[in-house]
Amino acid sequence: MAKIFSPERTGGDRAMISTGINGIDDMLGGGIPKGSRVMYSMEPGVDGQLFMISTLFAALSKGLSCLVVLPHTTFDIFKHDAATKRGCTMEIFNKKVVFIDAIDRERIEKSSRTRKDVLKAWETKVKKLSKENAVEIAFIYVDLLYNDLGLEGTISIAEAAKTSGKTTVILEHLNLEGRSLIDRFIEKYSYDLIIAISSAFRSPPHFNYFTLMHTSWSNVPRRSVPFIVTEGRVVPYIPKIVVTGPSQAGKSTFVSNASDLGFSVDRQGSSGDPTTVAMDFGWLHWKDFEITVYGTPGQQRFDSVVPMLLSHAMGVVLLIDATKPSALERARHHVQLIREKRLPMVIAANKSDLPGTMSDSEIRKGLDLQKDVPLFFISATRKGDVRLVLESLVDYITQYTN
Amino acid sequence: MYNFKSGIAQIDQVTGGFEQGTNFLVLAPPMSLAEELAYSLTKPLPGEYAIVLSTNDRAAEVIDAFKVMDVDKRYVGTIDAITKSSTPGIADTTRLMFVASPTDLTGIGIKFSKMVELIFDGDFSDGESGLFPPPVRFCINSVSTLLMYRKLEVLYQFLHVLTSKVKKIDGIGFYLLNNESFDEKTISLVKQLMTGVIEVKIEQNTHYLCIMGIKGVSSEWQKFSVQKGQVVIGP
Repeated sequence: MAKIFSPERTGGDRAMISTGINGIDDMLGGGIPKGSRVMYSMEPGVDGQLFMISTLFAALSKGLSCLVVLPHTTFDIFKHDAATKRGCTMEIFNKKVVFIDAIDRERIEKSSRTRKDVLKAWETKVKKLSKENAVEIAFIYVDLLYNDLGLEGTISIAEAAKTSGKTTVILEHLNLEGRSLIDRFIEKYSYDLIIAISSAFRSPPHFNYFTLMHTSWSNVPRRSVPFIVTEGRVVPYIPKIVVTGPSQAGKSTFVSNASDLGFSVDRQGSSGDPTTVAMDFGWLHWKDFEITVYGTPGQQRFDSVVPMLLSHAMGVVLLIDATKPSALERARHHVQLIREKRLPMVIAANKSDLPGTMSDSEIRKGLDLQKDVPLFFISATRKGDVRLVLESLVDYITQYTN
Repeated sequence: MYNFKSGIAQIDQVTGGFEQGTNFLVLAPPMSLAEELAYSLTKPLPGEYAIVLSTNDRAAEVIDAFKVMDVDKRYVGTIDAITKSSTPGIADTTRLMFVASPTDLTGIGIKFSKMVELIFDGDFSDGESGLFPPPVRFCINSVSTLLMYRKLEVLYQFLHVLTSKVKKIDGIGFYLLNNESFDEKTISLVKQLMTGVIEVKIEQNTHYLCIMGIKGVSSEWQKFSVQKGQVVIGP
């Protein structure tokens, strides 16, 4: 097996390579450290090819020298398909990129007598091209190599591309073996990043998601995030964030200020202020995430609706009136509901710009909160405050391990 | 419970047709009407949909084969693993999708999921809609070609995924395999993934089939022919 180099651990953006998917770069702390070994592990049938293609396009547009190994197809077909998937022209491939494709595979097989010869020919070819072109990232489609040469052979070919510690190797693999194969990549071959791409294949709606299975350079917890493919981009998608809390805490204002687009179903309450009677609904595109926000009604008579709105939520903002200690008991009921569903939760103490705001410890004690639950003092009338809460919740969702 | 009519009286009269969520291996020697038989069983009846993965014929030929059977082409999708190698720039449409080659299991899996998704979303048939949930017939013509390019273990795992998906969507699958080109081990491994087997043989220029794995249906050898996409049992 070829010599194994370690990824650069210097940190900072200069040593990082973008995955081409902002939401994932953020989750990874800026991208992939140069010199890493990465695997995109695809479940059969899931449309996840855009992950590796996004990383390739990001590298090419940064002017990095790339090698693409495609034993299953020709580079003509690949270029066409990749450009179509990204919704762009093939001009990007005029940059620094070299290919080894299905025709090379055929030549290698014809000129080799034994499996050992085939492996050697692959290693030699990959190493030569990698060296001659000072390749910084090698993108390898593993599927057929694995079929022809087994896992050890495939890993050996991938290592042949690493002509220095700075060369990054990225594999895409159709994983027919499931978790056991991923574990081997982590434990036996010390891969630095493994992203599994899966689908919940069922009667509609079909549902794709990626899971950060492992990172060697940071403590990003394992977390699954749904994604959609739109306009040639992978977009992490938070299908449902719920904003709940006692009546008059400011939930409708929060949802309205969180959203690019939204509406509220409300009526005049007994106090003369509008009160939500069904739900608030908002949608926003933020930091490469598509997010849908639902606000629950706060009045006790609508309590039966709240658990339904919490179903399938990915995270919850519990909004309380920071100037109203008497409402904490009611909010504890919401905390209980959220805990029962084991959902990531952040607390937003609204109206904290008004006099008589409770302290952090008073709120935590009143709601029986652990220290690790994020608590923000905000005014829901300020968009910046609202976005800060959402930002924290998205981070919390993508890193939540419960 | 939806039953897929087979067009074979012996099956339809006894069981009402093939049960949803089942998979059948069509085991046949070359030039034995196996393709005609498989396409006839895959032919969508009104309200149904069909997806054909073709590793032998171009999409145009598959469409022609269904045209002969008077099938509305808006309900038939083809995943073509042949054409792209000679026409790299060919683009997918809703009902015609292309993969680089029969080795490209990743692409095959994705295109299959995409077509199913389009059918379930009602975006498959130019605004026309069939039954809901949509009954989908699926056919691989042929598993033999896939086996030529892929190791048996890999293909077994891949077929396991596909047959499971057919089950999940309550569809029906037909998988053509040439029983003269592969050993017993290969055939019996593929059989493990199936609900039943339809075997074909030729003796003195006469075609016979036997159906195994459907309760109440005889597994005796019976003469058959295929006329205009219709399986006819008997002399």
